[in-house]
Amino acid sequence: MVGYVCKYTPIEIIQAFDEEVLRIEPEGKAGEDVESLIHPNMCSFMKGALEEILKNNINEVVLVNCCDSIRRLYDVLKGKIEFIHIIDLPRKTDDHACSLFYNEILKFIKAYEDFKGKKIDLDKFIKILNDCKTENQNFKKSIAVLGARFNGSVLEKIKKRCSLNIINLTCTGDNRLSKIEKRDNLIFSFAKALLNSFPCMRMVDDRLRFINKNNIKGIIYNTIKFCDFYSFEYATLKSALNLPILKLETDYSDLNNGQIVTRIDAFLESVGAGRPNVKIKKKGYFAGIDSGSTSTNVVIIDENKNIVSYSIVPTGARAIDSAKRAYKTALEKADLKEKDIKYIVATGYGRISIPFSNKAVTEITCHGRGAFYFDREVRTIIDIGGQDSKVIRLDNSGSVVDFVMNDKCSAGTGRFLDVMSETLGVSISDLGRVVKDFKEDIVITSMCTVFAESEVISLIAQNKEKKDIIRALNRSVASKAVSLIDRVGRRGKYMMTGGVAKNSGVVYEIENKIGEKIIIPFEPQIVGALGAAIIATEIGNPSQRQQQLYNTGIPEN
Amino acid sequence: MDLIKTYSNIIKKNLGNPYRAFKLIKLGFDIVYKYVSFFPDKRLPESLKYLNRICIKNIKKPIDHPENSIWVNIFAPTELLIAMQIYPLFIEAYSSFMSGFLIEDYLIDKAESAGISNTLCSYHKAFIGSGELNILQKPKMAVTTSLACDANINSFRYLSDKYDLPLYIIDVPYEYNRNTVEYVKKQLIEMIGLIEDVFERKLDIDKLREIIIRENETRKLINEYIDNLRLRSLNSTMTFEMYMLFTSHVFMGMEETYSFYKMLINDIKRAPLRTGKGIFFVHLVPMFENSFKEYFNFNNEYHLLGCDLNFDFLAEVEYDDPFEGIAKKLILNTYNGGFNRRIHSLGNIIDRIEPDGIIQFCHFGCKQSIGGAYILKRFFKDKGIPFLAVDGDGIDKRNNQEGQSRTRLEAFLEMVKRR
Repeated sequence: MVGYVCKYTPIEIIQAFDEEVLRIEPEGKAGEDVESLIHPNMCSFMKGALEEILKNNINEVVLVNCCDSIRRLYDVLKGKIEFIHIIDLPRKTDDHACSLFYNEILKFIKAYEDFKGKKIDLDKFIKILNDCKTENQNFKKSIAVLGARFNGSVLEKIKKRCSLNIINLTCTGDNRLSKIEKRDNLIFSFAKALLNSFPCMRMVDDRLRFINKNNIKGIIYNTIKFCDFYSFEYATLKSALNLPILKLETDYSDLNNGQIVTRIDAFLESVGAGRPNVKIKKKGYFAGIDSGSTSTNVVIIDENKNIVSYSIVPTGARAIDSAKRAYKTALEKADLKEKDIKYIVATGYGRISIPFSNKAVTEITCHGRGAFYFDREVRTIIDIGGQDSKVIRLDNSGSVVDFVMNDKCSAGTGRFLDVMSETLGVSISDLGRVVKDFKEDIVITSMCTVFAESEVISLIAQNKEKKDIIRALNRSVASKAVSLIDRVGRRGKYMMTGGVAKNSGVVYEIENKIGEKIIIPFEPQIVGALGAAIIATEIGNPSQRQQQLYNTGIPEN
Repeated sequence: MDLIKTYSNIIKKNLGNPYRAFKLIKLGFDIVYKYVSFFPDKRLPESLKYLNRICIKNIKKPIDHPENSIWVNIFAPTELLIAMQIYPLFIEAYSSFMSGFLIEDYLIDKAESAGISNTLCSYHKAFIGSGELNILQKPKMAVTTSLACDANINSFRYLSDKYDLPLYIIDVPYEYNRNTVEYVKKQLIEMIGLIEDVFERKLDIDKLREIIIRENETRKLINEYIDNLRLRSLNSTMTFEMYMLFTSHVFMGMEETYSFYKMLINDIKRAPLRTGKGIFFVHLVPMFENSFKEYFNFNNEYHLLGCDLNFDFLAEVEYDDPFEGIAKKLILNTYNGGFNRRIHSLGNIIDRIEPDGIIQFCHFGCKQSIGGAYILKRFFKDKGIPFLAVDGDGIDKRNNQEGQSRTRLEAFLEMVKRR
């Protein structure tokens, strides 16, 4: 068995040796063994691959010098396993480059023949190429997956959730060898076809001209930490293609987690490519439950979308228990019984763990609906919760057209402020005050909560004014939020939701930076649950739908 | 220091107005040039005072005359440009100056908020940030090599698109053989065609030969300098080791570069003998890090003996067929190809210089270099030379954990001293 990582690997040649190929797809995080072999600041995929190869005794590996990290993977593996070979892949695709690549493939064949003590079976090679299904580039309406390498099992998940065709144009794309010219030198033609695969970012070719825009409804764009290639393209892609794009940033090992799936679901919903599974339709009262990481919020509304009651309870160890408690509280406040509620939509991280809800919708869509309910001129929602922060862009009909989220760390979130209030020894409400009369313009440089904490400790040690530190902390959270805003582009009106919206210091600093007022709803923590409840009325009360469309401006999907 | 801070604050306040910011940065270069011309640091030997002047003078040219300039990376074959009287602006140097002007944080944030990955090399991010702010004046075109890291093609492509520039990418293959030399040579010829079209002037091949002959003479001097380092050291500052990257790369082949090395040989021959411990650096020298400054600037106890990036190609370049010669030079650069090549060349230089310790400054985001850190560690362990890999950032001061690196550096130097 021969392990490989890159789509430019001549796997058909390896198969012609009657050897199996295995695409290395590390699932977990790299452990200590790997940390002793390679510097920690390398790409997490490369580290995971190194671990996978050593742990599973993959003794034959063929690499392509696709990037700096993989080049070093080769250097580290050399001498550690039985057969390791690196193929030099030209960055251009002209005739000269083709013949270079052809020579590289011949060199590999020679090296592998020497290692195995057997010749390549050319008849088998011809047969493999004949069996190679060449997929048609002319796709029907599709969602394209672009960017850095994508994990196979996540791709399968997306395929299940998406009502449209999925094209994988990442490093793991399987769309190969579309045009092998029938020539006397088959290996040369093969090399040429392989070199002309859909180019990755290391290639000189302009990738965008290969994308048939007309067939693509949206792009899921994947980036991996410490893999810098794709951020460049993402930065230009939005304006160049003018298509809805979802950007994912993971360290590869955590691509397959709940938060990522939430984002993919929300994205598919927003481009109208989600798979609907609507069941029950009734009239009456409606509830939305937002099961967040720090608080669980419930809103109950009537069929005319008047808020009847709401509740906010801290999320405990089990999402389901907090959801039950919050739901019960809201029912009691509204003097309603469970049977009065006709339809429940759950949202937030815990949305799938709430068995008494009828449907789960992502918090992104829900925040969009909720914010639009409060003010129909809102175009940008800044939602900073306990564990994550996001910015959502609405169009003038209130639909989500774009959003960005922070990645897994707690920088710039409510948790960051919690930690800092403990460090400073002030209450959360004290931390939330607006500081205009500052003495010194202190800047907290670390974004990371842990590093920022030690920065604050040293500021305290230097006897800096508490209010100056408070101002610096609020500015730090604000600047993180503004950089998220800039990623979707600035457009008013702005609304801020989530627990941190109650911190007027942060709000003040964001307003300062964007130069515009931010609307804060009377209870910023219930916006998601309200959106969920509104969606519940739509699904559960179809006869009212037209009327509600008029009221809220939500278009029919 | 405070003066620079004030200057930096003025630039930062004006970054919203690109032209004014550009003017301020230009003014900064002018002042620095005047300053080093009239008030050179008395502690420096003549050669380094001269180096200081010519580096700033030649980096100013493309800034003063963008219409006659090309953006390049440090490995770009600038002999061709010098032969055509085109001024190369090499982006790594530009970013170093921006860090010197204390505005790199702002530029880097700008690049990151445009969507550029925060783990990209900060030499590139600071340049991209300047591009995002439009404070770079538009050159005629851009040229980069794929050598020595992934960042080159992408940064250059990104900014060339933004500035609507013709870009030529020289793809340098991994291995040295007949075919790869031919591949690079063809690209160089194609590139010259493009430059000739863009600048509407012809390359004089004899002029190019003359420059390469001078380049070879200069390299002889560099080799002589290396051999002198075994016994002596100039004891200057880390900044000058970095300035030498200008002369050993982008300004190679210029008359001034040749004169500088001539003077350098004179100075090193008269320099004091190495009485302290000699340290050799891998890849870069952290010239903005306080703890390193303390130990390596004007210090007789520890000698900064150089960094291997200054010695990445030490052979002669063929001048009868200059394109072939340059192609070979690019492919044979020790930063190209597998890491064993790099180790082999490091081994050779170490044998010539005989340092007492080696430090690899692991510049944040530089995968090609830090990926080899542990391989180097084993190599030097076998060779019996103390080795330290220390993390930091050559440009973005926020990525330097002062306390951490100081402890490591001091412990390492104590260790070296005890031997």
